[in-house]
Amino acid sequence: MNGFSSALWAEALKVRRSKVPIFTTLGFALVPLIDGLFMIILKDPEAARSMGLITTKAQLVAGVADWPTFFSILAQAVAVGGAILFAIITAWVFGREFTDRTAKELLALPTSREAIIAAKFVVIAIWTLALSLFVFALGLLVGTLVSIPGWSAPLLRTGFADAIGSALLTIGLLSFVALLASIGRGELLPIGWTVFTVVLAQIAAITGWGDWFPWAVPALYSGAAGPRSELVGLHSYLIVSIASLVGIAATFYWWRHADQTR
Amino acid sequence: MSGLAIETNQLTKRFGDVLAVVNVNLCVKQGEIYGFLGLNGAGKTTTIRALLGMIRPSSGDVKVLGEYIDPNGRGPWGRVGYMVESPSAYPELTVHENLEIARRLHGISNKGATSHVIERLALSSYAHRKAGTLSTGNLQRLGLARALLHQPELIILDEPANGLDPAGVVEIRELLASLAQDKGVTIFISSHILTEVDRLATRIGIIHKGRLIQELDAEKFEKRRAKRLAIKTRNLEAALVCLRSAGYKPVVQEGILLVDNEHAIEHPDEIAEILVNAGTPPMRLTVEQQDLEEYFLQLTGDAK
Repeated sequence: MNGFSSALWAEALKVRRSKVPIFTTLGFALVPLIDGLFMIILKDPEAARSMGLITTKAQLVAGVADWPTFFSILAQAVAVGGAILFAIITAWVFGREFTDRTAKELLALPTSREAIIAAKFVVIAIWTLALSLFVFALGLLVGTLVSIPGWSAPLLRTGFADAIGSALLTIGLLSFVALLASIGRGELLPIGWTVFTVVLAQIAAITGWGDWFPWAVPALYSGAAGPRSELVGLHSYLIVSIASLVGIAATFYWWRHADQTR
Repeated sequence: MSGLAIETNQLTKRFGDVLAVVNVNLCVKQGEIYGFLGLNGAGKTTTIRALLGMIRPSSGDVKVLGEYIDPNGRGPWGRVGYMVESPSAYPELTVHENLEIARRLHGISNKGATSHVIERLALSSYAHRKAGTLSTGNLQRLGLARALLHQPELIILDEPANGLDPAGVVEIRELLASLAQDKGVTIFISSHILTEVDRLATRIGIIHKGRLIQELDAEKFEKRRAKRLAIKTRNLEAALVCLRSAGYKPVVQEGILLVDNEHAIEHPDEIAEILVNAGTPPMRLTVEQQDLEEYFLQLTGDAK
């Protein structure tokens, strides 16, 4: 693709100079920290009871203070939190070109529009995956510091697969966020879309159609509603892949064919 | 190569029910400085966006530097510099970084190109300042720097003088004129302010309500714009009487005497003499030329 490495360099520079990575990292770092707090509460029920509602909530969400529970909460939080946080990142990477009115500077260049869009997708994928890995690593540190029982190497593997697997499924669905940031020429429409899909995913999961609804699959994969093998199947992964590819293709098509009036 | 840098054939663009540009046939020769004049909303920016492949014409076609502009094609963009509408830049990036992005996306391997254009546009003292902190004038310079960075054969500028101070306007005008004269660069420059263009352009196109209503050499345009002699005097009545008796037909408009007689315009000294002899010397005597708005009204018959 003509000029892809230049476009990737440009996109990376924009990210490096922005404050968005710092804020998203800080925001996502709350996930393992809160997970660790739950573990502290669950480890000492007497102290937990004196904390009132927080204890009740922690009991509802978690159960016991051990590594399987810790990893389970981590994966669920990555799935749900990631859906929103990753969408904000994607909305910014694409939408900022319109809010800063810089989109027009990308349209008539020797570097093709496709190279620029591909670079944006690659930067988003690297950024969100790095965030997920960071959160998982921070989770391991927090879990070790609060010294919860039940650690094993196979558990680490499944815990990693749950968290990073659901993150990857979420990342795949960001192409629609990119598309809507382009069509909506800014950050508002994709953020609205994300809230809409989070609500719809809840309804789809409750009504038992979650495995057929792409935006419900990452949370179901994480084990938020029960064992993964009972909730998602091959068709679910296929649907997420198709949705992802449709979103990517539509975004490329839009940047090539839509009238650019801003 | 046709010898034409820009060529549009029946270019039409419709946005829903609105016809933004209608059957525009532009011909800009290589090496020419083409002033594209029109009031706000006349269709200048839509035309420029169509030239740059940013919008798809509803009908007609566009050729730039000998290549048809098609959203699916690659376009001659390595040889074209442009600035469309208000200048923009990544606010958290410095001037240098913004231009570095442009350099890379243009595939220019010479790293010195960025520093060179910064110097040329007098942006050296702002090179490491974030673009978000720049004044409108300096942001405009940054936009121009981006347009000139890759030493294009054709420069398309949409209202480039916006936000520049008078000295900056002159400086940019001289820079563009030297590019055209010394390097044979073709310049297509749009404006709604006549004086910005008429000192620079060698050819002028006038767009009104989406239609190209006139295309002519700058010299001819200069001649066609009506001139008049504006006279301010303390005794308006006496001045009116003496000028009428001298054979002129002055009219009074907002306390100013206006004479559109060709002889009077060519010889204002004689008018001054008549007024002095009649005991009502002029306080101000100036030859005024129609501005763009007035010229449009005359051309389109919209005059009240």
